[in-house]
Amino acid sequence: MIRRPRIPVPEDFTAPSHSPLVAARLGLWLGVAFGLCFGTGLLSHFIQHPPGWFTWPTRPVNLYRITQGVHVLSGVAAIPLLLAKLWSVYPRLFVRPPLRQPIRLSAHALERLSVLVLVCAAFFELVTGLFNVAQSYPWGFFFPTAHYAVAWLVAGAILLHVAVKLPIARAALSTPLRGSRAVAAAAPGRDDSSERRAFLRTSVGVAGIAVLATAGVTVPWLRRASPLAWRSAAGPQGIPINRTAAAARIVVPPDWRLEIVWPGGRETLSLAELAALPQHTAELPIACVEGWSASAHWTGVPVVQLLRWAGAPTGRPVRFTSLETDGLYAASTLPAAHASDPLTLLALRINGEQLSPDHGYPCRLVAPSRPGVLQTKWVARLEVLR
Amino acid sequence: MRAVRLLLLVLGASAVGYGGWLLLPQLGTALPWLIGGPVLHDVLVAPLVGVVGLMLSRLVTNRLRLAWVTAGLLASATLLLIAVPLLWRPPSAPPNPGLPDRNYPLGLAVGLAVVWAAIVIVLVVVAMVDRRVTNRRTDRP
Repeated sequence: MIRRPRIPVPEDFTAPSHSPLVAARLGLWLGVAFGLCFGTGLLSHFIQHPPGWFTWPTRPVNLYRITQGVHVLSGVAAIPLLLAKLWSVYPRLFVRPPLRQPIRLSAHALERLSVLVLVCAAFFELVTGLFNVAQSYPWGFFFPTAHYAVAWLVAGAILLHVAVKLPIARAALSTPLRGSRAVAAAAPGRDDSSERRAFLRTSVGVAGIAVLATAGVTVPWLRRASPLAWRSAAGPQGIPINRTAAAARIVVPPDWRLEIVWPGGRETLSLAELAALPQHTAELPIACVEGWSASAHWTGVPVVQLLRWAGAPTGRPVRFTSLETDGLYAASTLPAAHASDPLTLLALRINGEQLSPDHGYPCRLVAPSRPGVLQTKWVARLEVLR
Repeated sequence: MRAVRLLLLVLGASAVGYGGWLLLPQLGTALPWLIGGPVLHDVLVAPLVGVVGLMLSRLVTNRLRLAWVTAGLLASATLLLIAVPLLWRPPSAPPNPGLPDRNYPLGLAVGLAVVWAAIVIVLVVVAMVDRRVTNRRTDRP
């Protein structure tokens, strides 16, 4: 029998993986993964660009390490889940539009548009996120703002999709996967229910493998086991480096002095004077926005004690400025809560050694529960804000 | 339910509108990366997966064996996808000591080898159990 090639219709796809029972469950799990990703991403955005109402706690010191680890790993888990979900609903791509019914046609077109936005945006987020963690930027846009904007597209399109599909999804989710014996007896030789479960199990299993393959970036005991982690060893002086002194074009002047200014006062001190102040050691993580994190023992002067020593007011936000003249992270504002925390250090040493130029010599900021990009290196100036 | 759906509709549309407004200044450069995913998937990846699936179901007739081989292929494809940005690095950021610092071709090869070794073990165990069950049935008819 010769069949003429034609565009398929949804009924041509008979595999059990295309069942709404499967699609609804995958959709639910994907919703959880994207929800975690969106929530933790939003937190990270607010920490870096805090609106007035936003505060972020300083404890536990690993809090940002955990939220950003969840962000990156839920994104990794979403990759196989998204592909499985798209495979499950692929036949729907070939639904013929109801051309002769204008009202139904416009509803159909709107639904298709919302799904197109969802799929475009979901792929965009996962692909750009994956390239960003590998620090590769083969595109023309600015990653942080584009990734943030498209995150809203994903979140909104998911809500639209749930609004449209809610009745179908509810019915599918309340139908047990294990088919009844009567159904199995009616169609002998083919066990759809076990194939549906196998497809779902495989999807979840593959998501788990993907997470295991990358989680070493932040989970210490997986560091050597994850073959596709975007960092492995401890890095120079025990911590990887995200921006070298050479890349930041840092030249430490021989007469470098730390400048502390506050409304109505100013103080400066040399590195020797800074090193002569009482030193404290704290174990704090560098937790990068790219999801990797590593702990080190930092030694330096607690910022709150430095301010007291200088006679500057405490309990206020402090702006740290780097020797770096250009670049997005040449300065950062330390919120009042972090500036008052006794663990927040102006560190001079890392793991018992003097900071290398790449780690921020002569001194750098290290505060608990903060993104690595805000832990300003090569500090030149502290300004106590009002 | 109607009220919930309406609420979701309004919230969703506002979030999409907000995201679109945020993206507007970069829409030109981001557009190919937005459209690329679905086009690549719908036109190339999904049909390819379908064809491979059909061929595989002809080659492997035992359902359980087919399920495990499929799982192995899907896990391999996912590991390959995750490895792409680590293996292929066009204009990347300046070098950062300690970051992307693994031997990724080796890591990928080891990862794939572990996945397939696990699947071969499972298949062998399944075959052994099958044979024992069949033997027992033939021993005591």
